[in-house]
Amino acid sequence: MWKRTAQGRELHFYLAGINNQNFLMRDRETGSWWQQITGRAISGKLAGTSLESMPNDELTFGLWKAELSQEHALVLAPVAGHDKDYDKGWEAETEKYPVPLSFPGQGLKDRDVILGVQLGGQARAFPVTKVRGQTPVEDKISGVPLVIVTAPDGVSMRMFRSRWNGSDIELYRDTETDGQSTDEHKADGQSPAGQNTGGQSKDLRLLDSLGNTWNFSGCATSGPATGQCLEKINYVKDYWFDWKNYNPKTTVYSH
Amino acid sequence: MVLTIFSLGLFLIPAFIIRPFTHQSAIGLRIALFVKWIAPTLTLLALLGVLAIAWSLWQRSSWLLRSGIITSLLLCLASTVMVQQNYFEWMFNPIKAAGFVAPGDSHLDDKEMVMTVKIGPEARAYPIVQMAYHHILNDTVAGEPIVVTY
Repeated sequence: MWKRTAQGRELHFYLAGINNQNFLMRDRETGSWWQQITGRAISGKLAGTSLESMPNDELTFGLWKAELSQEHALVLAPVAGHDKDYDKGWEAETEKYPVPLSFPGQGLKDRDVILGVQLGGQARAFPVTKVRGQTPVEDKISGVPLVIVTAPDGVSMRMFRSRWNGSDIELYRDTETDGQSTDEHKADGQSPAGQNTGGQSKDLRLLDSLGNTWNFSGCATSGPATGQCLEKINYVKDYWFDWKNYNPKTTVYSH
Repeated sequence: MVLTIFSLGLFLIPAFIIRPFTHQSAIGLRIALFVKWIAPTLTLLALLGVLAIAWSLWQRSSWLLRSGIITSLLLCLASTVMVQQNYFEWMFNPIKAAGFVAPGDSHLDDKEMVMTVKIGPEARAYPIVQMAYHHILNDTVAGEPIVVTY
């Protein structure tokens, strides 16, 4: 997701080609060619310009709704006539095609899905199978301490800089409340206890050694840090071969 | 004949290089984009060239040669038209006018994945199952122009 203003100008993009399984897009204003994965213009009047990244999340619909409070919220509606095209099995279908490039040697298969992070000039790939559901996953890249957490829905993930008040903090799961539903967090007043709602009625609770409790939004709900939030780190969810192609020196998380 | 092959090449070379699921080297991409840039003008010139040659040869041509001329002409015409098209959009149908609904009015299942953004007082969710098909959406959230890609 990118901000589509460049050099003081609002641009409108359209799909124009595929380059190594990412796509190329062009802007209607200058006809320049841009790469989807890097947000950089590789040809045309704006060649060399980079779009600014727009921080975003990938969550389950249920979790996104549960986190809403005062916002004016909207969901993209399906375009009429395309219901058949929205194939939930598209990922499985894509896997039948050959991979354009292959990068063996770092313990990952080409189509392994990873969370890619770039910090301080270093790139690292976190295999989803290694980090999803393993809250908290702690690591350090270029001296920046980070933590990856999975929401109670078992799917949604966020990454934060685990640093507060000038020091690195270590986070632990709150084993006292884990596995229990907390009635005060029901989403939309639905889902009575007993139904399998993927744990929407639970909230993630992480503790640190300074007496703070942190939730899935990275904000402290109790303790001296109450009301403050950890800095969110943006990651790219990608196939290993594609991430490696654009980040040749990337390391891989392994613990 | 030569002009026809040249004209077809102008369309086919970039189409071949930028086909999905294959690797494009940086040089390959440069070539493809360059050819794409010159193609509209050159295919038009080639078409005019073939028309001129066809015109001068037509009277003296056998039935066989005339068929050849017609074929050349049609191929050149096809190429001239194709270099002006963005066939990727045929495959993936861009969203022309995005519609949005309130979360309560959406039929999306709670377990479906969405890409979400929060800017100021606005929160928006883009279902991945839809973005995986349309690939691009230009949107404006709380006055900020963004492009959602998948």
